[in-house]
Formats: sequence, structure tokens, C-alpha cells
Amino acid sequence: MSNESKTVAVLGAGTMGSGIATVMARAGHRTILFDVNENNLKRGIETVHGFFDKSVRLGKLDATAGQAAKDALVGSTDLTDLAPCDVVVEAVFEDLQLKKEMFGRLDEIVSSSTLFHTNTSTLSVTGIASGSRLPERVVGTHYCNPAPLMKLVEVADGRHTAGWAHKATEEFLGSLGKVCVVTKDRPGFIVNRFLIPWENSCIRALEAGVATKEDIDTAVIGAVGHPMGPFRLLDIVGLDIHQQVATRLYEQLRDPRFFPPPMVERMVAAGDLGRKTGRGFYEYENTRLFGS
Amino acid sequence: MNQFRRIGVVGLGTMGSGIAQVFAVSGRDVVAVEADRARAEAGIAAVGAFLDGGVARGKVSDDEKKAALARVTASTSLSDLADVDLVIESVTENLEVKREVLAGVAAAVGDETPIVTNTSALSVTALAASLPDPTRVAGLHFFNPAPVMRTVEVVRALQTSQDLVDRLVTLVSGLDGKQPIVVDDRPGFLINALLLPYLNDVIQEYDDGLATAEDIDLALKLGLGYKSGPLEMLDMIGLDVHLNATESAYAATSDNRYAPPPLLRRMVAAGHLGTKNGKGFRTEEKSTR
Repeated sequence: MSNESKTVAVLGAGTMGSGIATVMARAGHRTILFDVNENNLKRGIETVHGFFDKSVRLGKLDATAGQAAKDALVGSTDLTDLAPCDVVVEAVFEDLQLKKEMFGRLDEIVSSSTLFHTNTSTLSVTGIASGSRLPERVVGTHYCNPAPLMKLVEVADGRHTAGWAHKATEEFLGSLGKVCVVTKDRPGFIVNRFLIPWENSCIRALEAGVATKEDIDTAVIGAVGHPMGPFRLLDIVGLDIHQQVATRLYEQLRDPRFFPPPMVERMVAAGDLGRKTGRGFYEYENTRLFGS
Repeated sequence: MNQFRRIGVVGLGTMGSGIAQVFAVSGRDVVAVEADRARAEAGIAAVGAFLDGGVARGKVSDDEKKAALARVTASTSLSDLADVDLVIESVTENLEVKREVLAGVAAAVGDETPIVTNTSALSVTALAASLPDPTRVAGLHFFNPAPVMRTVEVVRALQTSQDLVDRLVTLVSGLDGKQPIVVDDRPGFLINALLLPYLNDVIQEYDDGLATAEDIDLALKLGLGYKSGPLEMLDMIGLDVHLNATESAYAATSDNRYAPPPLLRRMVAAGHLGTKNGKGFRTEEKSTR
């Protein structure tokens, strides 16, 4: 597979899907953003357009390139539109059955040489790949949020992933300006594998009254060189998201370090999900994330 | 500047020389005590070299460097601590050695002179208990490199007086770029209680083949914005230092998150100590990205 302009589809027009579609369109690939729901799709395309408009406004992209990137993107709610795709990136809801079904249906639509990428963060790449008759073409590609700004992609092969698919995936991600790290198909890959127990132990220290949230945040930044303290980060990630990711990792690893501490359940029950609801560990007047 | 004008620093290894530098740069006189002349000179040389780096990067002027060095007096005798206002002990992390040194310090200084320890691995309460008037004993835990890292843990032993805690908070707050956090004397205090299990976890997963050392560090740096990855951080800390710290925490808690991973023990047994001797997790690679 050469690295000239390709046709790429992104499944799921949520935060990650629209972010990944932005990456593809910006790199000059003909990009199809797919979602079963018209409204989600419309919102996703608006998100991508909004990102390019802002890039032009900030002088990071000239007006012609901004328009070209917008023109490279189309939306679809019909899976058969994906027939010409060279690469399909799956970023639908984190549900194993749904992800497997998507790849199974795509088997009937796309060429047998089309690469299937899954952006799962907590499910098994091998499990998702089993939904395709050609699991050798399926590779885990876990992007970080916000995908257009974060360079890292964790690449994980399933048990049946072929060498050619892995190699083509690394080349393709490299051409997008991403930096790949290669990891195993294990729960949480690298980043979530270490972040979730870290955040949980910070929450437990707070529960135990070791120090205040402000003091812990400040001390961690000043002692360890993190850009942000654990509670500020949790407020950005969202307590509901932390709870979901931590619970899924715990279900697979059965190691109590991954289990969300009781304070998380209380905060989610109270609707204190973090920045997006105006209150998490801290209070916020501005509920927008990443200044967008 | 508060009451602490003259500072005694005992032990001029990596941490002690860094701490001596912090106080000298703050304008205080420092009496720096080591066991012998050669070690004392090496400690002073380390301060000079660190300040040279600051001069090269334009953060310190040559005059400031000279003035700071001029404020440090090296000594090989604890009796030279007689007129200091505060002593910071930073000798090797060994309970018996620290007890002996602290007893010598207590005999040399005034009856009410505060004595603080930079221990990261031992109980401040246990060290305080061996001294006359333990209410004047606390922990003052700097992070490596001490002149750079902002956080300083003010550690309250069971005996420590509130007055001393308050004075230490004022002292640290007045140091350029430093931020105190008051914590109780629990194993690992705050930061190491969080950091040791995380670092152990990374070592075990690396040993279990999760990814290369370079990719683990790269993922956490790019994915989370960390200044250094966990494995390069371990090389910097020193694998022997980390092993000692996590063994102490494990002994104090029986919490298996602190249990040293087998690879860590093997590396220390083989003399692979990290950056200081060029053998560690990341020391043999040149960065390729």
C-alpha cells in the first residue's frame, strides 16, 4: 500500500471518531465519516469543520488547505458507501458485539486488502478481529484524545494480525504525522494500563485524607514532572469515563488496583463528572474542553 | 528571611549537595559536613558543576554562582554545626547510620535547634525517638534534583511540634520556586507512596514484554505529557536507591504493591544501577525519534 492519497472511512462520529476523521482529512485522504445516526453524523462533521476553521483562524492552516481538508470529508449513514476504502478505522461505542458486527458487515462490502483498524481503548483487539472473516487484516490503533493534537498512537496486533497489516499500519500512521508505539493486545495497552491505577491511588490518598486535592495536584507536578495533577486530569477526562475504563480493566485483570474507588461512584451519582458538567473535583465556569 | 539564617547540611551526596546549593543560592550560610575531606570536596564540586550548568543556560550569573559557593563552608566535624539555626541530615538511607549521625548532630547543636531529615525511606518518627527533645525533629524531603524540583514534603512525625511544622512551611515557601506540602510520617509520605507502586508496576510489565523500554517511556511522555518516562526516571533515581526505598515501604506496610519486582533485584545484583554507572533500562539506547 503506497502512501499517496487513500480513501479512508471512520466509523462512529463521536469525539474520537470525528477527531480521527479530522486527522485523515487534514492529511489529504478522501475521508468518509460514517454513523448510523443522522444527527450524530451532522454534529461530527460540524466538529471537523469547526476544527479546520479554527486552524485557519489561528494561521495554522492557510484558507485553501482548510477548504481542501473540508472538501476531503464526506458523511454517510450507508455502509455500502465504504466499498472503495483502503483503510477503515472503527471508533464506535465501546461494545465488543457492535464492533465485531461492524467488521463482519464490512467484509461483504470492501476489498479483501482493506485494512481494518480498531480504536478500542479497553477491549481485546483479538476479540474485535474475530468479527471479521479475515482477522489478519485487523490492527489495534489507539489514538489519544484530542486525536488531531496528540501525536501518540498505540499499535497492538491481535493474535491473528498479519505482518503485512502491521507494517502497512505503521507506515500509514507515520504518513499522518503520528508516532507509533508497539504494544501487546493486553487490557489498557500502555497508557491506560499505567494511568488508571495511578489515578485510582491518587483518589484513594484523597479519600484517606493524606492531603487536599490542591496539595496533591501541586505536589505531583512539582515532584514528578507531570504537566497536570491527577485531579485536574480526571476532571478533563470525565469521572464517568474514568469509571468506565477502570471498571472494564478491572473486569479483565481482576486486580483491585484497577477498581474505581468509592469516591468515583459517588461523584458520578451526583452528576459531578468534571469539567463538562461544571463540577468534578474542582468547579468550572467554562465547561468547554480544550478551548474549542 | 525567617529565623533560619545558618543551615547545616550533613551528608553531601546527590541530595545533600543539591540541598546545600538550594540554601546557599537563597542567601543563607551553609555549613556542609561530610565524613572526610575527599567527600566534602566532591560535594562542593558537585554544587559548582550544577551551578555551572545554570550559568551556561543563562539562569545564574557567574557572580551569583561565586557568591553562592562562597557561602558554603565544608567541614569534616559535626562540632562545626554548633551555631547553625537548622540542621538537615542527608546521609545514606540506613537507620543505624542515620541514628548515629543524628545523635552526633544533637550533641553538637543547641538544645532547641531543629534537626530535620531528608529521608525518603525511613520513619521520621523512629529517627526522632532516638534524640533528646524529639519535638524539634521533622522530615524535610526534597526531590532529585533538589535545585530543580519544586515540591518539598514537610513531614510531621508523631512527636513534631506544630511550631516547627509552621516554621518549615515558611522556610520552604520563601525559597525561590519551592512549594511545601505538609504530610504525616507514613511510609513513602505522599509522593513516594504513589510513585513506588507505579514504578514497580512498569518494571514488572516491561519484564513481561508489554513493549520496549523506549516505547513505554515514549507512550507515557507523548500520551500524558510527562517530562520523563518511568524507566528513564528509574535510571535517574538509581535502581539501588529505588530498590532500597521500595523494600523499606514494603517492610513497613506488607503491601505487595511495594514488593520489589524480581527484575529490579536482578539488575541491582548485576550492578546495573542506572544513569550513574551507565547501565540501566534506557542507558544503552540513543534516542531514535
